[in-house]
Amino acid sequence: MSYEPRIVGFLCNWCSYAGADLAGTSRIHYASNVRIIRVMCTARVDPTFVLKALHDGADGVLICGCHPGDCHYSEGNYKAMRRYPLLKKLLADYGIEDERVRLEWVSASEGKRFADIVDDMTERVRALGPSHVQADLASDMAER
Amino acid sequence: MEMAEPRIGVYVCNCGTNIAKVVDCDAVAESAAQLPGVVVARSYKYMCSNPGQEMIVQDIEEHSLERVIVAACSPRMHERTFRRALESAGLNPYFLEMANIREHVSWVHDDGEEATQKAKALVHAGVSRVARNEPLERMSVDMCPNTLVIGGGIAGMTAALEFADAGKKAYLVERLDHLGGNLARVDLTAPYLDSARDIITDRVRRVTESENVEVLLDAEVRSLEGFVGNFKATVHQNGRPGESGSDVALDVGSVVVCTGYKEFDASRITHYGYGKLPNVITSFEFERMLREGRVETKEGKPPQYVAIVHCVGSRSEEFHSYCSRVCCMTAIKYAREVKSALPGCYVSDVYVDMHAFGKGMEDFYERSSELKTLFLMYERGGHPVIRKADPGDDCGMLIQVDEQLSGEVIEIPADLVILMVGMEAREDSGDVARLVNISRDKDGWFIESHPKLDPVATTTEGIFIAGTCAAPKDIPDTVAQARAAAARILGKISVGKIEIDAVYAEVDEDHCSGCRICNELCPYVAIEYDPETKRSHVISALCKACGACVAACPSGAIKARHFTDEQIFAQIEGVLA
Repeated sequence: MSYEPRIVGFLCNWCSYAGADLAGTSRIHYASNVRIIRVMCTARVDPTFVLKALHDGADGVLICGCHPGDCHYSEGNYKAMRRYPLLKKLLADYGIEDERVRLEWVSASEGKRFADIVDDMTERVRALGPSHVQADLASDMAER
Repeated sequence: MEMAEPRIGVYVCNCGTNIAKVVDCDAVAESAAQLPGVVVARSYKYMCSNPGQEMIVQDIEEHSLERVIVAACSPRMHERTFRRALESAGLNPYFLEMANIREHVSWVHDDGEEATQKAKALVHAGVSRVARNEPLERMSVDMCPNTLVIGGGIAGMTAALEFADAGKKAYLVERLDHLGGNLARVDLTAPYLDSARDIITDRVRRVTESENVEVLLDAEVRSLEGFVGNFKATVHQNGRPGESGSDVALDVGSVVVCTGYKEFDASRITHYGYGKLPNVITSFEFERMLREGRVETKEGKPPQYVAIVHCVGSRSEEFHSYCSRVCCMTAIKYAREVKSALPGCYVSDVYVDMHAFGKGMEDFYERSSELKTLFLMYERGGHPVIRKADPGDDCGMLIQVDEQLSGEVIEIPADLVILMVGMEAREDSGDVARLVNISRDKDGWFIESHPKLDPVATTTEGIFIAGTCAAPKDIPDTVAQARAAAARILGKISVGKIEIDAVYAEVDEDHCSGCRICNELCPYVAIEYDPETKRSHVISALCKACGACVAACPSGAIKARHFTDEQIFAQIEGVLA
């Protein structure tokens, strides 16, 4: 069965969203699987956003922010960075594969890097196959 | 609770063919029309055009629209435009959502089917979100009429003088102990051969004499806090030798960054022998000779052969891919100056492509043909090789050029070689960017708000850039930018008030447990704890809306206005629907 992964991308407004815009103005083509949601900073990315996306059928979640030291809010990305391992631990406990959720740094000048990350992540998530979260939820509901 | 769906209008921009050539805009509009709350959905050639905006305004009135989605370019481009359109129709500007189907879709995907699917998903996300958007009121604060200008080169001095002439205060901070920047190191300027010294001296005098300009030499900006209209800058001024320096606190409304460039280090290109062959010099070293009125070799003799090599560090895969813009015409200027100082001297000009853009430059280049300069074209990516001449040769050095027009490898004599070193971002441009909170591109130049439509503003309100800190440019362009930045700021000063974005965090004090986790998290110290009520609250003017506290609050008591959990959840549901 052919399967197109659906990935939700949370991009910070200042670096990564601008980087994704630059990929556009530079006409760098990449996979169409990531749907971007703009947040002001990766520090705003509440772990529940990631859980919500996986719950609602996302096969992967990509979080992109400014490189360490370059955050528009000086240290928001460090907060995201510290929160991330806890989230990953939680996801591992749920049996969600490591490669489905990814945190990357993309500056406003790295359109190419953004495109490469999207292509790479799309291929990795494609290789994993569809997320089993929704199926698990359905069987959980059936058992009750 | 059943919420009455607000009435939504969806507008899918074709952007000429920019979007429509990949995305089926009509199909996107048709699918949007099926979504809950959508009462009108249209596809139109140019939404940002006047008729496009009028269409929205008219529909808001006719169809009593309460929310608007514009699926077009990046919100970084036209969000402001469409917010104004909503306001003009009496709708709160925060009832707009944009779906980025150009930069994030049509320009990056070529499969029409996939691109259209993605565009539909993004529009769906916008529709779900906008229904939950809340009306927000912008705050109006006083605009401080003083301006901080960082860098005392031609850009900084020009900007400072604009403020002075308008009767406004400018603080001009220069790291060195004198004004003038890189231009002070130049002799004559192309194409009219007027003296850089005249340009600089006049401005230094006016800046120094002006009551409205406070010049801080041997000084550096150490910190910048606050927000547009109300910044506090700390400038450290070094003391005289033996004395300790002092910090000066300045209240400013805006900042113009004019930190300029540095020249490429020619010793990085080994086959030019710079630093080893004494008569291989850089363009700036040659300028120094010209200003001192002597064109001679290290041995103190007038050169019989002068060679000028272009694109040193510029337009190269190895160093900088960009063109430094001013070197070609400066090289022609050198040919002219050498011929004028030493009429019998042979000048060769070793170039890649001759770039003669700018007013008067092509004529200047044409006129240089009377100089009998030998033009030799080398291949981009290739390098002429400079070596010491053999004993018995009538010259000091030999340059081997793989000449492109003749297709032959040619060796030319030289006693003096001038390397046209390009411009590069200063090594501390990253520190400056962090200081004033702006971004840099891959080459280290500061990024403008929009490369064509907003070239001197940045994405940080109140911070402007002018001159070569943004990219290589010549004197006229630098001066134009400095004056443009000053004009933008003077416009805001004359209004006297400045509108602050209504996006900031808010604590619901009923749900706040007083744990104070957020207090420590805020990089702007914008959250205050009230020991009386045992609750925290946000000082909205200080909040920059990053949302760190919102995500961290264990009670879910902090709301990010315009980026609420409900709004983002709705967006997630929308993209995955």
